[in-house]
Amino acid sequence: MNELKELSIVGKRIPKLDAAKKAMGRAEYIQDIKLPGMVYGKILYSKYAHANIVKIDTSRAKALPGVLCILTGDDVPKKMKMGFYKDNPPLKKGKVCSFRDEVAAVAATTPEIAKKALDMIEIQYEELPGIFDPEKAMQPDSPLVHDYHKTNVLNLPWKLHYGDVEKAEKESAFVVEERFTTQWVTHCCLGTSGAIALFDSNNNLTIHTNTQIPSLAQKDFLESLKAMGIENKRVRVIKPIIGGGFGSKLDSYAYEHVAILLAHACRRPVKIQFDRVEEFKATSTRQPTIIYIKQGCDKNGKLTFRDMRMVLDNGAYTSWGATTPSVMMMPITSLYRVENVRYEAKCVYTNNTYSQAFRGYGNPQATFAIESTLDMLAEKAGIDRVQIRRLNRNQPGDVTPQGFKISSCGLSECIDAVEKEMVINGPKEKGIGYGIASLIHVGGGARIYKSDGCGAILKMDDYGKVDIFTGGTDMGQGMDNITAQIVAEELGLLVEDINVVHSDTDVCPWDVGAHASRSTFVAGNAALGAAKKVKAVILEEAAKTFGVSPDQIVMKARNIFVPGDAEKTMTIDKLLRKVHFSPQGKMLMADYFYDPDNENMGKDMKGNMSVTYAFGAHGVKVKVDEETGKVTVLDYVAAHDVGRAINPLLLEGQVYGGVLMGLGYALTEEVVVRDGKTMNANFRDYKLFTAKDAIKIKAPVVETYDEFGPFGAKGIGEPGCVPTAPAIANAVYDAVGVRITTLPITPEKVLAALMEKKKNH
Amino acid sequence: MTIINFKLNGDQIEYEIKDHWTLLHLLREEMGLIGTKEGCGNGECGACTVIVDKLAINSCLYLAVDADRKTIETIEGLASTDGKLHPLQQSFVDNGGIQCGFCSPGMIMSSKALLDSNPNASEEEVKHALAGNICRCTGYVQILESVEAAKKHMAGGGQS
Amino acid sequence: MKPFKYLTPATVEEAVSLYGQHSETAKYIAGGTDVIVKLKDEWMEPDFLISLKKIEELSEFRKNENTGDLTIGATVTHAILEKSIMIQKEYPIIYDAVSNIGSLQVRNVGTIGGNLINAVPSADGAIPMIALDGVALIQGPSGERSVEVKDLFIEPYKTVLKPGEILKKITIPAQAPRTGSAYIKFGRRAAMELPLIGIGVLLSLDADLETCVKARIVLGVAGPTPMRAYEAEKLLVGKKITEDLLRQAGEKAADESKVRDSVRGSAWHRKEMIRVQVRRMGMKCMDIIKKN
Repeated sequence: MNELKELSIVGKRIPKLDAAKKAMGRAEYIQDIKLPGMVYGKILYSKYAHANIVKIDTSRAKALPGVLCILTGDDVPKKMKMGFYKDNPPLKKGKVCSFRDEVAAVAATTPEIAKKALDMIEIQYEELPGIFDPEKAMQPDSPLVHDYHKTNVLNLPWKLHYGDVEKAEKESAFVVEERFTTQWVTHCCLGTSGAIALFDSNNNLTIHTNTQIPSLAQKDFLESLKAMGIENKRVRVIKPIIGGGFGSKLDSYAYEHVAILLAHACRRPVKIQFDRVEEFKATSTRQPTIIYIKQGCDKNGKLTFRDMRMVLDNGAYTSWGATTPSVMMMPITSLYRVENVRYEAKCVYTNNTYSQAFRGYGNPQATFAIESTLDMLAEKAGIDRVQIRRLNRNQPGDVTPQGFKISSCGLSECIDAVEKEMVINGPKEKGIGYGIASLIHVGGGARIYKSDGCGAILKMDDYGKVDIFTGGTDMGQGMDNITAQIVAEELGLLVEDINVVHSDTDVCPWDVGAHASRSTFVAGNAALGAAKKVKAVILEEAAKTFGVSPDQIVMKARNIFVPGDAEKTMTIDKLLRKVHFSPQGKMLMADYFYDPDNENMGKDMKGNMSVTYAFGAHGVKVKVDEETGKVTVLDYVAAHDVGRAINPLLLEGQVYGGVLMGLGYALTEEVVVRDGKTMNANFRDYKLFTAKDAIKIKAPVVETYDEFGPFGAKGIGEPGCVPTAPAIANAVYDAVGVRITTLPITPEKVLAALMEKKKNH
Repeated sequence: MTIINFKLNGDQIEYEIKDHWTLLHLLREEMGLIGTKEGCGNGECGACTVIVDKLAINSCLYLAVDADRKTIETIEGLASTDGKLHPLQQSFVDNGGIQCGFCSPGMIMSSKALLDSNPNASEEEVKHALAGNICRCTGYVQILESVEAAKKHMAGGGQS
Repeated sequence: MKPFKYLTPATVEEAVSLYGQHSETAKYIAGGTDVIVKLKDEWMEPDFLISLKKIEELSEFRKNENTGDLTIGATVTHAILEKSIMIQKEYPIIYDAVSNIGSLQVRNVGTIGGNLINAVPSADGAIPMIALDGVALIQGPSGERSVEVKDLFIEPYKTVLKPGEILKKITIPAQAPRTGSAYIKFGRRAAMELPLIGIGVLLSLDADLETCVKARIVLGVAGPTPMRAYEAEKLLVGKKITEDLLRQAGEKAADESKVRDSVRGSAWHRKEMIRVQVRRMGMKCMDIIKKN
């Protein structure tokens, strides 16, 4: 392919720009920041899942030396509510609806005093019956989580029906039906959450916070200020280096708004820093689901319909977890060709913890059900599992029932790549099984907000160095490198010539956030746009100097020259100085705002959400111990269509990290919640894989060159963890003939299923 | 208040401490050495790993008072004074062993303690030694590759 | 963490005497990997911490070549045991158990004595000591006494040690010839586990390499304290060891166990694991004996 010609910087394995700083322990995370005069805030959480707050007595705590102020729900302005559903005040008043409900907050001169003060706040509760099962909470006689809401079912539009599912079912040769459930899992960022808020003398707010959405967080904080009666002021959001994101920092949290309230009340910089237990209990999880699915095919294996219904445990408050159905729709309507699709999701209030964005944003849950039942369908129809996937694969030029326009599509090549590494249907020993599952994900932004844009401002100095101020956010995934490599490639510079600034809303333009695997595509295109504007001016100036036309000039390796003419060459920095220090001289600067040409979903849920889509296929070999139920992963292949790899080193890092996160989701990870209470708020009992569990993962890259992507690239941040669980479930079935429909696939569940199977034979 | 004497990254230090301070508290909050991280405070993640008398330990579960007369190495002491990275640091940088970076100092210190005592550590030995250092970003693949590459480099006459 | 004063006695007598002075307000600390967690959680709030780290006699670790007795001082760390070639070769059950306690960082500091005294139902360190008929030497205000490790535990977090008493060392009597031992910690992942169940088996065979002369089956997380499955052991002694006999012993041990449901796993699965792993560890013992 012509477009995939070798480039100088793009496509190279260039180490992460801030890695050396991090390797030396010099990177500053929120944990490491201390401001002059800073004091420490702490939050008191509810003792009950559901209770009336009868009385709060803060007098003893207030009297403690070192305590500067104490706030309760009474001190929170009425209109100060978090989340898009506006149902979550940062401190609760009158009633608590979950164990993570914030009931009071303290600012004190040391963290120890703040903690002691919390212990001295006396609260009298009157316990209420809790509701913890979303399907029970849907019933008319269920207790209400929020009386004002009249029903536990949220008013959200998650419903679609394309084609005629009932007719298609009748006409199908084979139909399978199953119920799946997925668990709470949590991000486990190694760096815990934290924020520092401070006001200047004019009531302008500066907040240092771990966020993936600086611009939207700024908007949230402005709304809070407005609720506090502080209008027309500035909010500056400063991001320190972030110790892991994975979606956890996609909404603003109570602790950020509480820090603002405390800082305002005591006129000091206030820092709230979570410890690990708090991180487990008071940050949000992946959305748990109950999934009912039916899929059918004709006698040849061609998919005829897909019918899905979900009940989502919303928890007591609403964050992005309740919007994950908008992304679940993507695999439901568009993973493989299927014309008749129906889907409905109900989000239901309970007294459990509430959910948030998490890598994949609903896609892993939906794909678990789709890909598990696809294997069931293949078996029922007597068709090879790989064959049924090939037969129904998406192809370039497809428009899916939801209106997704598939531009580039390497799904077929991804399946080839898996089969090249692993014989899915080959002979095997007892207890050994192979599984395969595919994925579709947004790869060209995702229009879930009014704008899907990202701005970039680029300036060049007299020495050939570039500062680029981007709206994009790096949280370890490598947005900084992608930006630098794209700019260096376009301007004929080296990566070390590019300084990427992505930390401060005072200097960086707007961006909707680091989510939806959109940074490479959207922030990349924004950077490319700015670089192109500057390049055009440079070429024009060089053309004057060399006396040739701009299109004859090349910029490469810090030089600008006319190929084949040894006279017409100079270093880029020299040209820049020449342009600057001439009469009516100019400095080279450019800005660019890239808002992809994608569509918001309409009322019928149709719309081309992303400019392009990423695809992948995963294959796995497992061993199942039939006496213990333990599943061991022996081999893993994760093939992805990435358009083009801007940086294969970092790309592999995203895939490996995603796959292991997906394996945790499939096999070991679960936030155990009993009657609303988190039972395993530590790394001992929340079972992340360790280095000793690590496996070798093969990550073949399929490059389809997407015409809309920067240098052909699509996003690849999330896909690694999307089809992992069904690949494992399918492999377990292949190995021992039991279908596990609830995650995680623990030894206990596998053994129970094996015993049940034995009993029935 | 208790006075302790210890060697920190090659320098002899005398410090007045409180008996209930952890070594992590002493390093981070009192001495401003922020490279050592706190990920859990309970010895379950390894982000706070430092080397005490050649052994990797969790500084969050180690009292500062026990550092008396010990030799302590932290991430800040690895690069040479001219700024050149230690081969392990360089290898983590070059091989994608670092993403968000929060686990990296601890991961590198655990790796150093291992390779200092066992320069030919097998892959299984590396995994065993790093099992207490949790990483959420990398899936460990490139971390293990980083240690392997550093091991080869160090065996080939690089600085140890 | 509440402030405390840290005391570093040089002898056991001095430590016991310091405890006498401060009694209720003092706690002993060895490696600290459990104690410091409890201090942070304000689970304990002593005014004085009496460190056992500087007491030389507590770090004794040697095998008496004449008697065959193995002495492990209370402050010997898990890592020292794990790295010992002698332990790896002659006491595989100790190696299996200590090499998977927490992380290497914890094993470099955490001590075998601390692991025993912490007395959690899952104490990996206790299983091999019980299987090897270890005897704990305890010293306190009223002198020394010995307790078999199997009798050390009363309930979770509680041992027979009286206030002021210090566990000094574990003595493991010489092993019979033709002895094999093994331990497995069964969990979801390969490291950093609190086990779902822990199973240690030790078998000594007659010269015929078939007949069992001694059997120990020790279970962790199968009840409030580490426990021996006496009935299952009896089933083996005097009989020729076969896989089928070990299977029966597994059944018996599962029956004897007092497993219960918890957040970490359910009782029925724990029972199943006892059934399976007693047999597997027994077979592993047989392999070890045959190899030697």
